[in-house]
Amino acid sequence: MRLFLALTSVTLRGILRDRMLRAILGTVLLLILLVPVFSMFSMRQVQELAITITLSAISFFLLVMSLLLGSSSVWRDIERRYTSSILTLPVSRRAYILGKFSGIAIFIVCCGLFLFLVSVPVIMFAASSYPSDVPVHWLNIALAIGADILKYLLVAALALLFSTISTSFFLPFFATIAVYLAGSASQEVFEYVSGQFGTELQPASVAVIKGVYYILPNFSAFNLKVPAIYGLSHSPGGLALTTLYGVIYVVILLVLAIKIFSRRQLP
Amino acid sequence: MKSKVIILGLIFCYVLVVVPFSSYLKNRPVMLKLGYVPAGKVLRAIVGDQRYLTAEIYIVRVLFYFGELFGINRERVAVTPEYFNMYRTLENAVLLDPYNTDAYYFSQAAFTWELGRVREVNSMLKHGMKYRTWDYQLPFFVGFNSAFFLNDYQAAAEYMKRAAELSGNPLFTNLAARYFYEAGKTDFGIAFLETMAKSAHDRKLKRIYEVRIEALRAERFLAGAVDRFEKERGRMPESLRELVTSNLIEKIPLDPYGGRFYLDRSGKVRSTSKFAFRE
Repeated sequence: MRLFLALTSVTLRGILRDRMLRAILGTVLLLILLVPVFSMFSMRQVQELAITITLSAISFFLLVMSLLLGSSSVWRDIERRYTSSILTLPVSRRAYILGKFSGIAIFIVCCGLFLFLVSVPVIMFAASSYPSDVPVHWLNIALAIGADILKYLLVAALALLFSTISTSFFLPFFATIAVYLAGSASQEVFEYVSGQFGTELQPASVAVIKGVYYILPNFSAFNLKVPAIYGLSHSPGGLALTTLYGVIYVVILLVLAIKIFSRRQLP
Repeated sequence: MKSKVIILGLIFCYVLVVVPFSSYLKNRPVMLKLGYVPAGKVLRAIVGDQRYLTAEIYIVRVLFYFGELFGINRERVAVTPEYFNMYRTLENAVLLDPYNTDAYYFSQAAFTWELGRVREVNSMLKHGMKYRTWDYQLPFFVGFNSAFFLNDYQAAAEYMKRAAELSGNPLFTNLAARYFYEAGKTDFGIAFLETMAKSAHDRKLKRIYEVRIEALRAERFLAGAVDRFEKERGRMPESLRELVTSNLIEKIPLDPYGGRFYLDRSGKVRSTSKFAFRE
């Protein structure tokens, strides 16, 4: 346990030392601070646009972070022979993978919370300049950011999984982007083939599409932006199911990553 | 020394190119300015959770383009707006974010009067009503369009009733009927536009409403003078100029859309601009 915590702490400190990540965080912070100016472009929904831009900026930042951190984790350590020296210590490969993921996860969660705290006064300021007929629903905004955090933990776990089988940055990075895009669109495609269009397709094609839909992570489920922007109500059952789905999927990906990494021959 | 000359030479070349280049960008065709918009259904799948921001970007692009065009037209430079492309962009925007009120508001402002695409606008507004179930403005717009443009008072009453229920303001219930019976169509239009102009935050949009109000007021002024002429002389004036020569009015007001007012064969006041910016 002590070594696991040490690995988590080392990973986290490594992330915090990265200047490029700091630069990206700085850019997103600047963007969020400029939200009141950008939201003035809207004719009738200044407050709604302020929330939209803020949530989009946070979502984009977390996507970039989870992609970069997940994709550059395991294979780089192997290449630098860092894993070889770590694993000479009484550290299991499982603890190594979990320590890596925990470091990344803590960073993503902290960034999400920090950006949420920064966005509160920004949204309040934008909303006070042109009050909307829809009040700001802070709980919904917090839930939307929480769902985004869970989504990007899933992306980071996916990138980490690809990283365990890769010897370079390209496979985990591009494979994660491909799965992310497919997983974001899968719900739309599923609904499309389940409707009238599906009857015009070969039954085997529909079955394959539906099979892929169940295998791919469904990222669109974590999109809670509409209730946050327009103050619509949530279904508590739906929220619980989405959370459960996200957690189970992350656990499955981590178990797979541990299995693959345990069998991998290290230099 | 040599490198300084090269840098200066490059800067000179840049200045030579950048002026015609920016002029080209400013004057390039509308289709290029608004850009190609992929079909909303395809885009929904591609942009993922950034679709609300994408929708707003589309709407702001249309608004900027139209605002710029409006500025050009105020200087009487004839440019035909690409209404179809604008409408398509907004249609895609509401597919991406069916809750976005800017798209509905702008469509109502720009495509009903200018383009006469009332049925399409009503269809877009009805699409929005499925999502913005709390918003009284959408049924208010549909009700107004049904009464003013389509002369469908039954549908108008139905939508005004819905607007009244949502807003808690009973005024909407009999708004269509009251204005039509007591004031007439032009006054109904002016009252509607004044309400819209009052609540508009955006300066460009406010200006669009003000110009429309100015045009309708000029039309009402001339129509009133024609009525007075008919009552006094027992016949219709041959032209609007006759209203001036008979001292009923001092001068024929200017059409803010750049057209010229005239009397059609049925004695109705019309403008060559048809109250729209076009060539």
